[in-house]
Amino acid sequence: MDNSRPIASSGKRLGLYDNGTIRVVFFACCIIVLAVVLTSSISYSITKNAMVDKLKNRDMPYLVQSMKEKIDGRIERARETSLLLAKDQAVLAWVSSGGQDYAAGKMAQAKLSDIGKNYDYAKSFLASAAANQYWTEDANTVLDLSRNNPLDAWFYNALQSGQKVSLNIDYDRIYKSTFVYVNVLAGDVCQPVGVAGVALSLKDIAKEFSTDKFGENSNLWLVDNQGQIHLADNLEYIGRSVSEFLPADVIQQILGDMDNAKPKVLEYKDSQGQTMDLAYQSTVTTDWKLVFQIPRQESISILDSIKINAMIASVITILLMVFIFYFISYKIANPFKRALALAEEMENQVKLRTHELAEKNQNIMDSIDYAKRLQEAVLPSPNEWTAICRDYFVLWRPRDTVGGDFYWIRSLNATDSLIVLGDCTGHGVPGALMTMLVHSILNNMADNFESAGQMLEELNRRVQATLHRKAENKVSDDGLDVAICYIKDRRLEFAGAKIPLYIKRDGQVHVLKGDNRSIGYRRSKIDMDVSCHFWDIEAGDSLYLTTDGYIDQNGGTKDYPMGRKAFVECIAKMAPDTSLRQQQASFEHTLKAYMGAEPQRDDITVIGLAFQ
Amino acid sequence: MDDLFIAQTKSTPNILFEPQKAKLSIEGQSYPENAFKFYEPIFVWMDEYLAQLKEDAVLEIYFHMPYINTSSSKCMMMLFEKLEEAHEAGKTVNIRWYYDQDNEIALDCAEEFKEDLTVPFEIIPLADEATKDGQ
Repeated sequence: MDNSRPIASSGKRLGLYDNGTIRVVFFACCIIVLAVVLTSSISYSITKNAMVDKLKNRDMPYLVQSMKEKIDGRIERARETSLLLAKDQAVLAWVSSGGQDYAAGKMAQAKLSDIGKNYDYAKSFLASAAANQYWTEDANTVLDLSRNNPLDAWFYNALQSGQKVSLNIDYDRIYKSTFVYVNVLAGDVCQPVGVAGVALSLKDIAKEFSTDKFGENSNLWLVDNQGQIHLADNLEYIGRSVSEFLPADVIQQILGDMDNAKPKVLEYKDSQGQTMDLAYQSTVTTDWKLVFQIPRQESISILDSIKINAMIASVITILLMVFIFYFISYKIANPFKRALALAEEMENQVKLRTHELAEKNQNIMDSIDYAKRLQEAVLPSPNEWTAICRDYFVLWRPRDTVGGDFYWIRSLNATDSLIVLGDCTGHGVPGALMTMLVHSILNNMADNFESAGQMLEELNRRVQATLHRKAENKVSDDGLDVAICYIKDRRLEFAGAKIPLYIKRDGQVHVLKGDNRSIGYRRSKIDMDVSCHFWDIEAGDSLYLTTDGYIDQNGGTKDYPMGRKAFVECIAKMAPDTSLRQQQASFEHTLKAYMGAEPQRDDITVIGLAFQ
Repeated sequence: MDDLFIAQTKSTPNILFEPQKAKLSIEGQSYPENAFKFYEPIFVWMDEYLAQLKEDAVLEIYFHMPYINTSSSKCMMMLFEKLEEAHEAGKTVNIRWYYDQDNEIALDCAEEFKEDLTVPFEIIPLADEATKDGQ
């Protein structure tokens, strides 16, 4: 059988990954996914909180604060420029002269145009209370002011305000644009001679707003105390009211907050339910407030990318871990599984072999069982026994199923009979073959013999002749021990080859030893002389024959053979009226007690006979 | 010549032949399934050994075999015959057969062998539990 094939294929058949391995890998991956998701969620939430915290406490206040400072700074600069302009002697002289002081006018005009053109202002202007005239940096532009013109109200209001500096936002007819005007009273505050100032373009400031734009949907507004938006990063909102965009309570909180030198932050939900963060702060130079508003979603939109990155990282981690698990388990599983597969294959082979052996053994045993039937078939039947004696027992116990021990009887006539016990060399099948041979020879001789001795001699010759026909075959040397009892009326003629005859009479055991030579062997003399022993049988005599199996059986404390003495004692201790059946039981018991757990060593045959 | 050593089993004896010491020993029970197969290499060795044995050599052979089955005893007899031949050829061969004194079968067996042999064959009983050390 090709051994390599089933082993090689067994790896494939078993598979390197059983359900257990896959389950373990799957379970491990689940744990990793859970861990990654948990870690990501925690870090997401921590980052989000940190971001919102930073947004509310730092970014938004900072943004509002810096924008406020920009506006304040710009207006402050405009105010200072306006103050300088208003204090200028030439300007004062020119304004107070109502434009009549030509020399001063020239200087003032030069100053005006210098400020308006060379500095970062939309325009610069002077207005004279005496002349009710208005000049700008453009020397050609002179407007007449009238108390009756509402557009000129700012001038007369400023003159009467008593405030050195005032701001107003207004539409300029010339520039067609809205400006923040810084109006400074020239001369004494109580009796001003005119107004000087600069204008800042709202658009310019709005540009700053948009350059600082924080988010796509964020809004930065400059709101007056009425809630009107004056400046916005998105110009669309300018002029509209914050009430369009903010809930009323929020507006109230912003506009009602008088203590607002520092930025304040609040959050609210808009009409769509979105969380909005809002920061506001009052400007110093005006009573307006800066309001910055941004949807929470947008501020933390950077977290979306973190979220995506975390998810990508998770997927990559999972893939990596799966790969590593797979790889490791492959490395580990491979030799282990192969060893298992090999062990299983070997086990299968052993099973197969065992099965084959069992089958073969069964065949052999069946064959031997059949042989046993044959061997038993040639052994005498109870009827044949009772024809030659009053009582008898046969203890026939081959070591294996069949054996080399045999017994043979023949009733010659009403008074004469032959009893033969033999022990062929070996046991088992070879022994049994021998017994069949001897049996056949005995059958042939039964009708033509002179004496037990002569029969033994003849048996020796015939066995030798049959077994050792080929002189060169020295390996086999087989023969047998045998005892022949020829009962002629009441006279017993005994010839033995290593099997003695034991006779019990009146409690005494007599032994007819016979010859001490086996027969049939190559060494056995072909013309051996066998002595005959005689015994006159009386009623009550018991005859016993045994092969060496009984007396050679090992056991006892020293594991010696039981011995002849023990056998003789066993005969001697039988009560006079013990039936042969009971005697057999006694022999069996003695044997069993002696051998204990030792296995039977040889074929055992014991025969007992009693005569009338 | 090399030593011959065959370890004892339950059904075969311990064989130890030491040609340098001219000392051979067989100890243990002998009832193998196939006695001829077991003893054949021993015969071969013995033939070789005896063939090269010098005239003046003194060969000491010890046996201590509690049980020998019929076919083993035939083999033993064949072994003894070889020794007998050596003895007849003028070599000195001393056989000592030890047996435990309670073991009558071993004694019977030895006596049967001795009966057929002319080579010096000493049968020595061993007292209970005694071993045959120190010979």
